[in-house]
Amino acid sequence: MAQESSDDIYPLALLMDELKHDDVANRVSAMQKLDTIALALGPERTRDELIPFLNEAAQDDEEEVYATLAEQLGDFVPFVGGSEYATILLPVLEILASTDEPIVSEKAVGSLNKVAQEFSIDQIKNSFLPLIENLSDANWFSRKVAACGLFESIITRVNDDIRYDLLNIYLKLTQDETPMVRRPAASHLPKIINLLNNSKDVKVNEKDWEILSECFQNLSNDNQDSVKLLSIDILIEISKYFHDRKDNSHNQELLKSSLKLIQDNSWRVRYMAADRFTSIAINFEDDQNNIDELIEPFSKLLIDNEGEVRKAIAKQLPGFGKLISKDVLLEKIIPQVEELSNDPSEFVRSSLASEITGLTPLLPKEVVIKNLLPIFLTMLKDEYPEVKLNIISKLKIVNEVIGIDLLAQSLLPAISELAKDKQWRVRLAIIEYIPLLAEQLGVSFFDEELGDLVLSWLWDSVYSIREAAVNNLEQLAKIFGSKWADEEIISRILKSDSNSLNNFVYRITSLFTLTRLIPVVDESIIIEKILPFIESLVSDHVANIRFNVAKSYLVISKTLLHKDESSKLSKKEQSEAIKFINEKIIPKIEILKKDNDTDVRYFANQSLNGINSLLESTEN
Amino acid sequence: MDLDTDVQMEDAVELDTSLEEEEVNSTGDYSFNQPFQTKEGPPPELSSQNINQLDEWIEHLSKCQPLSEENVRRLCKMAIDVLQFEENVQPVNVPVTICGDVHGQFHDLMELFKIGGPCPDTNYLFMGDYVDRGYYSVETVSYLVAMKVRYPNRITILRGNHESRQITQVYGFYDECLRKYGSANVWKLFTDLFDYFPITALVDNKIFCLHGGLSPLIETIDQVRELNRIQEVPHEGPMCDLLWSDPDDRGGWGISPRGAGFTFGQDISEQFNHTNGLSLIARAHQLVMEGYSWSHQESVVTIFSAPNYCYRCGNQAAIMEVDEQHSRQFLQYDPSVRPGEPTVTRKTPDYFL
Repeated sequence: MAQESSDDIYPLALLMDELKHDDVANRVSAMQKLDTIALALGPERTRDELIPFLNEAAQDDEEEVYATLAEQLGDFVPFVGGSEYATILLPVLEILASTDEPIVSEKAVGSLNKVAQEFSIDQIKNSFLPLIENLSDANWFSRKVAACGLFESIITRVNDDIRYDLLNIYLKLTQDETPMVRRPAASHLPKIINLLNNSKDVKVNEKDWEILSECFQNLSNDNQDSVKLLSIDILIEISKYFHDRKDNSHNQELLKSSLKLIQDNSWRVRYMAADRFTSIAINFEDDQNNIDELIEPFSKLLIDNEGEVRKAIAKQLPGFGKLISKDVLLEKIIPQVEELSNDPSEFVRSSLASEITGLTPLLPKEVVIKNLLPIFLTMLKDEYPEVKLNIISKLKIVNEVIGIDLLAQSLLPAISELAKDKQWRVRLAIIEYIPLLAEQLGVSFFDEELGDLVLSWLWDSVYSIREAAVNNLEQLAKIFGSKWADEEIISRILKSDSNSLNNFVYRITSLFTLTRLIPVVDESIIIEKILPFIESLVSDHVANIRFNVAKSYLVISKTLLHKDESSKLSKKEQSEAIKFINEKIIPKIEILKKDNDTDVRYFANQSLNGINSLLESTEN
Repeated sequence: MDLDTDVQMEDAVELDTSLEEEEVNSTGDYSFNQPFQTKEGPPPELSSQNINQLDEWIEHLSKCQPLSEENVRRLCKMAIDVLQFEENVQPVNVPVTICGDVHGQFHDLMELFKIGGPCPDTNYLFMGDYVDRGYYSVETVSYLVAMKVRYPNRITILRGNHESRQITQVYGFYDECLRKYGSANVWKLFTDLFDYFPITALVDNKIFCLHGGLSPLIETIDQVRELNRIQEVPHEGPMCDLLWSDPDDRGGWGISPRGAGFTFGQDISEQFNHTNGLSLIARAHQLVMEGYSWSHQESVVTIFSAPNYCYRCGNQAAIMEVDEQHSRQFLQYDPSVRPGEPTVTRKTPDYFL
C-alpha cells in the first residue's frame, strides 16, 4: 500500500535510519521488517532501490543483523516480482554466504537453496551454476564451505552432462587441502546421494558412480578422523542405493569399506560406526554371508576399550540381533552381553539396560528364561539407579515373551528389594508397575506376596511415593473389586492405632486414600466406613486436614448421585440420595464454612457450590 | 552510609504513597469481605477475582514461564498488602516443613514439592535466599510470592541476605531481570517488595527460624519485634546480623569472614534458647553437603535446599518436617531429573569451531 504518493521514499529512508541505530537489537528488528518495506515499495522499487542498498549494507555489521537479513531473503522472491526476477537476489546472498560467521553463512545457504527452487532450468544454468563454480574456485575457505551446501537444491533438476560437471566440482571439494572444507563436503554428501536415490527423473549412470565412489574413497581415507567419521553416513547412503535396487554386485567393496571403518584406529570413527551399526548392516540383509562377516567386528566393538564405543554398540543389540541367526546370537553374542552387564562404566550398563529387553522377542522362551532373565536380575541389583530404572521401564516386552507368572516369580524378590530402594524414583517405577502385575497374578497370589507392600508405600517419607501409592490402590481396587478394597485397604487403614493418627501425614494420607476409593467402592462401604472417618476429621486441629475434608465431601456427593457413571438412579433412589446429602453432608460443610481459617472457608464454599449445582442438575 | 540511608528513605516514602493508592482501591475490591483493617489485624481476604488471577499465575509459573512485567507489578502490590501485616517474628503453627536456600534453582524447588508434598496441603516455611546464582531466580521468587499471596496461612517466606538491592546486583538476579525483561523494572519491583518480608519466624513458640543467625545486640525475641524491618538490609546492626551470622565451633562472638554479621558459639546459642524458652534455632545461609547439619549439640540446625548448588557443588539438599508433636524428620534429595537432558559422558570435540 505504498500507493499514497509518488514522493513516498519513507520506507527505505526509515530502514536506513534504523540500520544506523546504535543498539544491535534495533538493527535486527529493522531487518525483520524487511518484508514490510519491500511490500510497501512494490516489486520494481524493491529491485531498483532496496536490493542495491542491501548489497551495499551487507558489508559491515554484526552477525545477528546479517543472519536476519539472510533468512528474510529466502522468502523474497514474490517481493522482487516473482521467479523471473529471482536471480537479482543472488549477489547479496553470495556475499552473506561467503562470510566466515557460521550462522550467517548457514542462513544464506538455506535461503539460496530456497530461492533456487523457483529458478527455471535456464536460470540455473546461467546464474546458479556460475555461482557454485565461483564459490568452489575461491581461495578463501568460507566460500568453498558455502558451495558444499548448494548442490542439493539443483542436483536432481539438471541434465546428465551438467550433473556430471557438478559432481566433478564436488569431487574437488572433497579433495580440498583444508579439513574445514572437507568436513562440510562429507556431511552434505549423504543427502545428495539420498536425493539421487529417490528422484524419479534422474538415472545415475556409471560415470556418476565413478566420481561418487571416488569422493567416498577420499573421505573415508582422510587423515583427519573428524572427516573420516562422517564418511560412515555416506557409506550407508551408497549401500542403501544399491540395496533399494536389489543390486548385490557392489556388496564386496562396500563390505570391505564398512569393515575398514568399523575397525578404524580412531575411537571416534569406531564410535560413529557403532552408533550406526544396524543401519550399516541392514543394507546387506539380502546376503547372509555378508551379514556373517559383520558378526566378528560387532563382537569386537562390544569389548572395545573405549567406553563410549561400548555404550553406542550396546544400543544396537536388538537391531543387529534381528539380522543374525538365533544360534549365533545365543552362542556368540549373549555371553558377551552378560559380560557387558558387569561393565565398569555405569553409562555402558545404563545404555545396555535400556535396550537389552529388546532381545527377548528374538529368542525362544526357554533361552530367555535360562540366559537373559539372570542378566535382568543382576541389572536390577545394579548400584546405579538409572540401570535399574531402564530395565524396569522395559519389562513389558519380557512379559509378552515369558508370561507374567514366570516373570513375577523371578522378579518378586527383586521387587521387594527395589520397593525399599533408597532412590525414590526407583520405588516410584516399581509402584507404577504393580497394577499390571496385579491384573495377571490374581487376587490370592497378589495378597500373599504383595499385599503388605502396597500398603506400606502409603507411609513412605517422600510425598510422591505416597501419592503414587494412593493411585496404585485405586487401580487395584478397580481390578480386585469393592470387597477386596474394603478388606485389604479400608478396614486396615481404619484399624490404625491412635498413635499413628496423632501424626498429620498419616491422617492426611488416610484421608487422601479413602477419598480416592470413594468412586470405586460400593455405596454401603462409603456410608458405613468412609463417611464416619471423614466426619471425625471435621474438627481436626490442623487446617490442611479440614479443607481436604471439604473437598472429600464433594467427591462423596458426586458419587452418591451417580454423576460420573452411566447407570442412572431411579427417582426413589435419587430423592434418598438428595435427602442424605442434605442431612448428613451439608450441615458439616456449613460448619467448615464458618471455620477461622480462610483456606478452609474457601474450599468449604467451593464444595458447597459444587454440591448445590449437582443437586440442582439432579432435581431438574 | 548516610547517603545510603537517604536513598532507602526515599524508596520507603515512594512505596508508602503507592500503598495508599492501593488501599483506596482495595477497599473497593474487598467491599464484600471484611472492612478495612489496620496493619496489626489480619490482612483483608482475597476477592474471588484475585484468587482466579493468582491460580492462573501459579499455573503459568509452575511451568517455569515468567510473568509479564505488568503482572509482576500487580503481584508485588498484592504481596505488599499481605506481607505488611506480618510481624518481624512471624508466628507459625505445626505441622510445617522448613526449607533453606533455593537460589533460583527452579526445577529443584519443584523437586522439593515432590518430596515434601504440594502447597497448600503441606505447610511451608522458607528461610530466605530465593534469588541469585541459579538460572531461574525470576521464576522462583515469582512462584513463591504468588503462593504466599494465594495461601498466606500455608506458606511463610522469610528474608535472606540475598533479598537485597546490593547483593542481587552482584550475584545474578539483577542481570537475569535485565535479560528476561529488557529493563531493571522487575528487579526494582521485587527488591522493593523484599523490604516487607518478615525476618524471622517462631514455630509454635519453640523453634526460632531465620536466615543467618544471632546478633550480639539481640538477647530476647521481643527485641527482634521492636526493629523497623521495612528497609534495605543494613550493613551492620541487629537486622543485618540476623540475616548474615553463622554458628561457629569457637565460643562467644567472633568476627565473620563474610564481612557482615558475626560468628556465634555454643554458649551463645544455649543462652539464647534458654532465655527465650526455645528448643531449637533453625537457619540456612551455609552450604552443607548432606543438606542439613547440626551444630552446638543440636541447639542449632542448618538447612540448605539447593541440591548440587550452582549446578556443580555435588551436595544433597534437605528439608525438615516438624510434626504436631514437634518431632523432626529430615528429607534429603538430589537434583531433579530434567527431561531431554542426555547424560553426556564424553563429548566429541569439534576441533575447528
